[in-house]
Amino acid sequence: MSSKRIGTENFGKVYKEGSRVRTMREWRGFADTVYDYSRWLHNWVTMFTVVLSKPRNVKAMFRYRWMANYLAVPMMVDRHTQGLRGEHLRICHTEQDLIIEDVAKLLDKLFRGDRRIGNDTEFSKKVVLVDENEMQSIMMGFPTVVPLSREIASTYIPVLLNQRAAQHYIDVAQEYGLAGDVCPMPEAEAGVSIDDDAPVLGCCAIQCNTTCDGSLLGNGVISRRLEGEDGIPVFQLATPLRHREDDVQDYAAQEIRNAIAFIEEHTGEKWDWAHYFECAKRVNYATKCRVEWLEMNKTPYPQVFGSNLALYTETNYMAISGRLAVFEKADRKITRLAEKAYKKKAVAANAYRHRAIVWGVQSHFYMDFLVWLLNCWGIVPLTDMLSMVNTRMIAETDTPENREQAIYDIAWLTENMIMRNRTHGGYRVLLDELWEFVDQFNADMVILWEHMSCKALDGMHGLFEERAREKGVHLVWVQHDLFDPRIINRQGVRDQVNNYMRTVMQEEPVDPSLEILPDGESW
Amino acid sequence: MKDLKHLITFENLLQEANNDLITKARSEGNVCVAYVCENTPEPLLNLGKAFSARLRAPRTGSMEMATYYMTSFLCEYTRALLERALEGGYQFADCLIAPDGCSMMNRCVENMELLKTMGKDNPRFFFENMEIPMKGDDNGLNLYVLQCKNHILKPLHEKYGIDVSDAAIRVAVAEHNHVCELIRAIGEFRKGPNPTITGYEYHVITLATYVAPKAELIPLLEETLEELKTREPEAKFPFRARVVVVGSEVDDTDFIKLIEDCGAYVCADRFCCGSLPGRDPIVLTDDEDALTQICRQYMMRGQCPRYMDTSKMEGRRAYVNQVAKEYGADGIIYEQIKFCDPWAYEKMIGAADLRNKYGYPVLAVDRPYSIGVSGQMRTRVQAFIESIEIKQIQGGANE
Amino acid sequence: MKKLKKKLLKLLLRLLLIVIGFIAVTFTVYIFNLDMKLTAAMEPILFKFYDRVKRDQHL
Repeated sequence: MSSKRIGTENFGKVYKEGSRVRTMREWRGFADTVYDYSRWLHNWVTMFTVVLSKPRNVKAMFRYRWMANYLAVPMMVDRHTQGLRGEHLRICHTEQDLIIEDVAKLLDKLFRGDRRIGNDTEFSKKVVLVDENEMQSIMMGFPTVVPLSREIASTYIPVLLNQRAAQHYIDVAQEYGLAGDVCPMPEAEAGVSIDDDAPVLGCCAIQCNTTCDGSLLGNGVISRRLEGEDGIPVFQLATPLRHREDDVQDYAAQEIRNAIAFIEEHTGEKWDWAHYFECAKRVNYATKCRVEWLEMNKTPYPQVFGSNLALYTETNYMAISGRLAVFEKADRKITRLAEKAYKKKAVAANAYRHRAIVWGVQSHFYMDFLVWLLNCWGIVPLTDMLSMVNTRMIAETDTPENREQAIYDIAWLTENMIMRNRTHGGYRVLLDELWEFVDQFNADMVILWEHMSCKALDGMHGLFEERAREKGVHLVWVQHDLFDPRIINRQGVRDQVNNYMRTVMQEEPVDPSLEILPDGESW
Repeated sequence: MKDLKHLITFENLLQEANNDLITKARSEGNVCVAYVCENTPEPLLNLGKAFSARLRAPRTGSMEMATYYMTSFLCEYTRALLERALEGGYQFADCLIAPDGCSMMNRCVENMELLKTMGKDNPRFFFENMEIPMKGDDNGLNLYVLQCKNHILKPLHEKYGIDVSDAAIRVAVAEHNHVCELIRAIGEFRKGPNPTITGYEYHVITLATYVAPKAELIPLLEETLEELKTREPEAKFPFRARVVVVGSEVDDTDFIKLIEDCGAYVCADRFCCGSLPGRDPIVLTDDEDALTQICRQYMMRGQCPRYMDTSKMEGRRAYVNQVAKEYGADGIIYEQIKFCDPWAYEKMIGAADLRNKYGYPVLAVDRPYSIGVSGQMRTRVQAFIESIEIKQIQGGANE
Repeated sequence: MKKLKKKLLKLLLRLLLIVIGFIAVTFTVYIFNLDMKLTAAMEPILFKFYDRVKRDQHL
């Protein structure tokens, strides 16, 4: 399938050796360029009005090292919109712009309560700190409590913006004796805490045994400082690992009850059932939309896919959990755009050569790799592991039975947090279900991220290969170290696909200018 | 010192995963319950005709097949186990019970299962994975009890007809406690200024109790205890310092030997497969079922870094301090098997706390599963001993 | 009335010129990626600040 659109060739020409940024923005034809320009302007206005217009936030800009990365926000959007036109461009902007707004508000709130910066003590009393990888469904019944994640602001988003954002913190943690072979994400989060570079606020904190052993143990470094020095009590939410088993669900539910009681005790707020069920409706709507998008992706005309789907799902499913109505609006708009594009049989790139399931833990410092995959080789990333989360509807009407069920629903969602739902739960959810998705999506290829420090993924390496051979599906390993481009850089990541496509598939790239890019120094 | 009479017997038991006592027990119709993690309550695996065997991979060489299946980034213990399983080295086991203790062990056991490495010619063979608590609280205890019922007691009863009644559990605990008391009594000889047992010998004896049927070991342990009461120590304490070894799984006696060869006496073993707290007796009362009491004691005494609540985290370091004091240690060696995530973090924090908060000299090392004669490790331990000596000369060891 | 109309027209024209000028400038910044080029130049300056910030660095 080929569909050449205005300006969609030689994307590689905008990269410059040794530069942080691209030489110029993309010309997408008049209408799409004007639209993209308007969103660019909108995002700058958001950043100015929400963040930079307030003196306390400017002060924070000069206090926290990770804040420098936020200078690169517009470039992140450019990276994720490369090659997009029409509805696809609009879908992407709907997702990205909302994420930007949400993160801008997160920064503003963090600095408002931060004892070093805004020191708004009344506000801080209503803040509950949450983990980076934590389902915020636990907050659905607390409309007046403000859940904030310091790790999202200090490590998760910065690495999306600037590939080197975590390096300093990784080095700090290792200077203090942490082994270099653990996952660099919790390692960097621990490094932020050790480096005294996390805002200090909140009346309490909830940590969760999220994706992996490293993440669980990294929390211990953070809670030492929170409890021992900052006087912020911490509740460790221990969610079952074998989450598909019936005999762990009562335990999971009781953990949720205990966590709610802990929040009530420290915030002085009561769990609000009416608000919970209002949020639950939105969670179900988001699930319904995501399922519809995925259904569309099973056809020859996928519309909502790639890294944007992953990022949006991660934000909406995990960090929002139905708490904000604006995301429901966005879901509606994205669905409308997707349906329109589907009717037109619109495509998002010049050629769709292969249909791929993207599995494993993505290279966070190169989240837009999927955009490259599409533009350079015509490999369509139909869905990815991060987007294959809960599809079950939760109870949404307020009845006595549903109040009990709701606790189990929150537990279920927490157990099925993004990534966690695959890295924990046994081989069925990681290994067996991948091949079921390959069949359902009619994929001929699996792009398998091998995050080298992710032991849960590495431990299935051989069996992934054996199953791929049995099914006759092309399996392309893409190794990386999640937050640390010094181990395998972006070109190293790309070369693994380049080599496979040239040697095994004997193919030429759709856009040869993208095959080798001088983006080693780029944000 | 004169050689311990049964040391060679204990050493021989560690030469193979399928040791002589396991072969003998199975030939007598007993059921071998294999396990891989200290968080599996051991007495429950020793009910009636069942006996437990903690899996090891002694004399591990190449791990190429396991490295293919699990990559070189997983800890060598798990890779060594998978390699041995692929070689057919665990066919003696009648089942394998594994808690979801860490991701790597979980994947190791799943590979064993999917690659059909065990249970050949045994239609009753089963794999069981169980959830275990991550915090020491009532909710965790309820989970632990339920999981033990569903994933240990139920399958053992259904597949092998094992009596899993409260009475049977109490009998198993009594035997378990007898072994623990013997081991701890033997361990007491490490406390004196010139001990009559080396850390290496003690580790060999302790380790044997994890890998062989306990009933067969009891006479040997009793005799060894009696022997130690009259054993003549060396004329002069032959070591330059006393250290506690703390950390992840150590089933390689060469590691302890290497430390002692360098001049540091291993006076206490706070590691997985060691006696602290692995050989603490289980105290049972009559006012509560035995299963709940076992689970509570395993949960509350557990020193595994997967326990994530603050009291358990702080408690781990306080426990090391307590052990170091009790056994008169001059320093602490924190060790982890390379690529072990939980111990990578615990080693960092524990080493810092024991050094800064409790004032001990600390060496933090990572090591392969099978140490052999590592020159690097030798150099690090020697340098550590020298640093302890220098501090002692300067009078600053515990300031 | 005519004067007012003229004044209004002038104002509108001025407004239009401002809008056009704003669009021309910002679009130039946008298409040539000048915003990112400027922030890229600011990055090393910020790092100097961060290195000077006093921190209580410890485990």
